[in-house]
Amino acid sequence: MRRLGPIITAVFAAALVALLAFGLTTQGASRALDEALAAGRQPAAPNVTRPLPVLNNAGGPTARLTQWRGGVIVVNFWASWCPPCAAEAPLLERAQRTLTADHAGTVVGITYKDITANALSSIKSFGLSYPNLRDINGSYAAGYGTDKIPETFVLNRQLHVVAISRGEITEQSWLTRAIVEAERT
Amino acid sequence: MKRAALIALLALALLPAAAAAVKQRTSMEAILPQVMCVTCGIPLQVAVSPQADAERSYIQQLIDRGDTAAQVKRALVAQYGPTVLALPRASGFNLTVYIVPVVVVLALLALLALLLPRWRANQKQASPDGAAPPTPLSPEDASRLEQELARYEPSRAAPRPRSR
Repeated sequence: MRRLGPIITAVFAAALVALLAFGLTTQGASRALDEALAAGRQPAAPNVTRPLPVLNNAGGPTARLTQWRGGVIVVNFWASWCPPCAAEAPLLERAQRTLTADHAGTVVGITYKDITANALSSIKSFGLSYPNLRDINGSYAAGYGTDKIPETFVLNRQLHVVAISRGEITEQSWLTRAIVEAERT
Repeated sequence: MKRAALIALLALALLPAAAAAVKQRTSMEAILPQVMCVTCGIPLQVAVSPQADAERSYIQQLIDRGDTAAQVKRALVAQYGPTVLALPRASGFNLTVYIVPVVVVLALLALLALLLPRWRANQKQASPDGAAPPTPLSPEDASRLEQELARYEPSRAAPRPRSR
């Protein structure tokens, strides 16, 4: 009995430390995609088979990225309450028109922790013609290491990430270059 | 006259129901402490961000519509998922939030239950009445003590033999 006390205390302390370590390691956004790109690889896009609720123009109540496989996909995480997202919306819409005209792919907007009515109102006021889906609790975006918006990921025809913009896209040329790179690979 | 009395009676009967309905309507002050800012990860009450403003504005819309606290929370969960609620659901890893404090308290109580009797037994063994027993002085020490005391209290000193 005298030996049991310290053992129980040690096990208990170890369990608490493990819990703390788990909490700390699961915090923060993953940068695995960025690291893979920096290493010259084109990592597979996460969550491509996971269905998300549709806001507009995706032909059904839910949609998944795999339904646009075979073309370039520009995945843009945004929200109605985010001013930089509003600022980059015209660039994305321009890219969408080019992609549609060339039959080369599509832009897919994914709202991040946003209210449906507000998102729909923004889609209308920004004049977005590309499909938009809803990431209700941010768990979809977390797969991309996204915990701030706007962020944009350009995927090639095999649904591999070829370019990442963590922050507002300020230059149309960045988007054009990334789409050309995605078409080439 | 009879009809007027009947209407008055009916109104009186409906009054508590109407009051209850009004009572169920929630307020911003009641909801805010129960809700998180979903992008900042802090209570909405103290969050300052465009997203928090959007969330507060949505809640205000629901309150203005006459929703109860439960309805507001349900609507928020539908929009943002369960992480919008300040009190996490008791499922999956979130269970640790509820289990760990209970386990810690129980473990501390068990440890006390284990150690207290042992401490008390040790103390009793040291002294049955709780006080440390005085250690008896050796004859040499007793004699030295007497001599020292005699220096300060002459009355304690043994009478010296008179010189002739």
